[in-house]
Amino acid sequence: MKHFKLPDLGEGLPEAEIVEWHVKVGDSVDVDQVLVSVETAKAIVEVPSPQAGVVAKLFGEPGDIIHTGEPLLGFEGEGDDSGTVVGELKRAETETRQDQFIIGAAPSSRQARHQRATPGVRALAERLGVSLEAIKGSGPGGLITNEDVHRQASHQKALGDAEALHGPRRTMAKNMSLSHAQVVPVSIFEDVDVGDWKSGADVTMRLVQAVAQACEAVPVLNAWFDGDNLSRRLLDEVHVGIAVDTPEGLFVPVLRDVNHRSLPDLRQGLENLREAVASRKIPPQEMQGATITLSNFGTMAGQYANPIVTPPQVAIVGAGRMREKVVPHKGQPAVRRVLPLSLTFDHRAATGGEAARFMGAMLEALGQP
Amino acid sequence: MSDVTLVEAVNMALAWEMASDENVVVLGEDVATNGGVFRATVGLKDRFGYKRVMDTPLAENLIAGTAVGMAVQGLKPVAEFQFMGFIYAGMDQIICHAARMRNRTRGRLHCPVVYRAPFGGGIHAPEHHSESTEALFAHIPGLRVVIPSSPQRAYGLLLAAIRDPDPVVFLEPKRIYRAVTQTVEDNGEALPLDTCFTLREGDDVTLISWGASIMETLEAASSLAEQGVSAEVIDVATISPLDRETLLCSVAKTGRAVIIHEACRNGGFGAEIAASLAEAAFLDLQAPIVRVTGYDTVMPYYRNEQAYLPKVADIIHAVEQVIAL
Repeated sequence: MKHFKLPDLGEGLPEAEIVEWHVKVGDSVDVDQVLVSVETAKAIVEVPSPQAGVVAKLFGEPGDIIHTGEPLLGFEGEGDDSGTVVGELKRAETETRQDQFIIGAAPSSRQARHQRATPGVRALAERLGVSLEAIKGSGPGGLITNEDVHRQASHQKALGDAEALHGPRRTMAKNMSLSHAQVVPVSIFEDVDVGDWKSGADVTMRLVQAVAQACEAVPVLNAWFDGDNLSRRLLDEVHVGIAVDTPEGLFVPVLRDVNHRSLPDLRQGLENLREAVASRKIPPQEMQGATITLSNFGTMAGQYANPIVTPPQVAIVGAGRMREKVVPHKGQPAVRRVLPLSLTFDHRAATGGEAARFMGAMLEALGQP
Repeated sequence: MSDVTLVEAVNMALAWEMASDENVVVLGEDVATNGGVFRATVGLKDRFGYKRVMDTPLAENLIAGTAVGMAVQGLKPVAEFQFMGFIYAGMDQIICHAARMRNRTRGRLHCPVVYRAPFGGGIHAPEHHSESTEALFAHIPGLRVVIPSSPQRAYGLLLAAIRDPDPVVFLEPKRIYRAVTQTVEDNGEALPLDTCFTLREGDDVTLISWGASIMETLEAASSLAEQGVSAEVIDVATISPLDRETLLCSVAKTGRAVIIHEACRNGGFGAEIAASLAEAAFLDLQAPIVRVTGYDTVMPYYRNEQAYLPKVADIIHAVEQVIAL
């Protein structure tokens, strides 16, 4: 039941006497329909209904005194009981929820911490720059003690501080681990008999041109591969990244459009790039956009390698140290100059057959006098 | 199964236990004809009669003391104080008699009374109607102090409190009396006393609270989750005797604790929890224990009461402090 309370009849009067009811229990009433006549100290007033509804109860008979704010009449339906005599209670949202709880501690709370140390020990470790994770506690129950921290600190001091990586070396570390995490590398190795080369042949240029010819023969390895979207772009132009070793770290400047340039032009271009790298003046854009990479580590030492493919590129060619070797030549054993080659490719982007054909094309190019 | 608010769950538990145990009686100001200032006892008089649902004079000492007499002579009285702010007149009976009856009589008598009182602020009430002084009772040996914070826990814990053979101070967070509706099965099943309830599992910080502040605490935990901080939320529920085991387990996992209560800070029950954690979880702590509480002032009148109550932002700020360490 919803109560209609005697309103303030406008003159601050505290009470009124019921003169006559104009409705009875069970009547349907409309808004503003007169419900009752009451007599105040000043006049007889007709009280209109504040709402439409069905009368459920009349509070009082003619002659009864009703105080302002007391129930006068009840309508059928839900009450407007505020649920409190003072203040206001926040009402529940319409949504009903299920109570969710675990009696006592959560199962995950039952696992103990591994590295137990007092706050004092933790503070000491922080001051001395020692990581608690690296320490096995010697105290009761594996508790890490002050002595443990000091021992670790002096151990670290004897070794010296680790050197933070900067610049190209830092970039190399990041890029290599990123590449290593993505690429599915497969390598194949081969020796090329270069005994027929003219003396003083420009090895790097021969390699660059061989790569360009192999790319034209097998374009699948001259491509950019997107492993996230599983898509690829086969490229017409061949831009060869040339790995250049420096004391600061690895640089890979890009020799552009190698399949359409003359040999002297390429040679000059490579010299310019090397000089720019050596003087650390190479702009970043000169190290971007390679479609395949050449690592000519053989100028120093080493025969074969598994160099790291740098996405989005698909392949990298490694050239080892050229040396003399006894090999069959025209049906006879002969001492010949041999160039060891390594080809590493991303097996997500190219098949073994494609890579083998690429290697074959390089062999053919390099086998020419 | 019924969808009920916290205060309706209180009523449901009272009705269940009165129906199943004729020794359960209800007494207090306006509890019978009027049904209680918050309607917690509505309908009980019509169902069980005046002999079991008694309107008392406005005399809290009388209510508390009469209940002691009833309890030691075999009844199970549930006495209502209209507001916690009026309970102090009955303190002598509660502390000096109810709490020590078992000890005083060397176990010959015991005192199975439940003292119910709505507590806490946030409903725009006048003076004396908004305090949270649960720590006063938690300090008294021989009293259980139980604080539900959801309809289900109100139902289960009140049943347990009535069935308990010793006195229980049962404090109801009136700010959330009607704030949440839950599906509660009216099956007479009690929940255990003397245990915390883990409301949300998390790894980074343990949020410990009780009463109405549980609402803000859960909200803060949800916001923190969006920031990538995984907070465990524990409803202490029975603040005395305190279930230290659950709190220690959780803090051993998270290494961080923030205690939230509406009562003022000085000597609040959060201090006891903080001390317990400092004593027993010392080796697990990654950061100082932080309290988010009301202020050490008289609870302000209603215009300023929102400024007094711990807010979600206060809890998040406290967590950010301890997470940074």
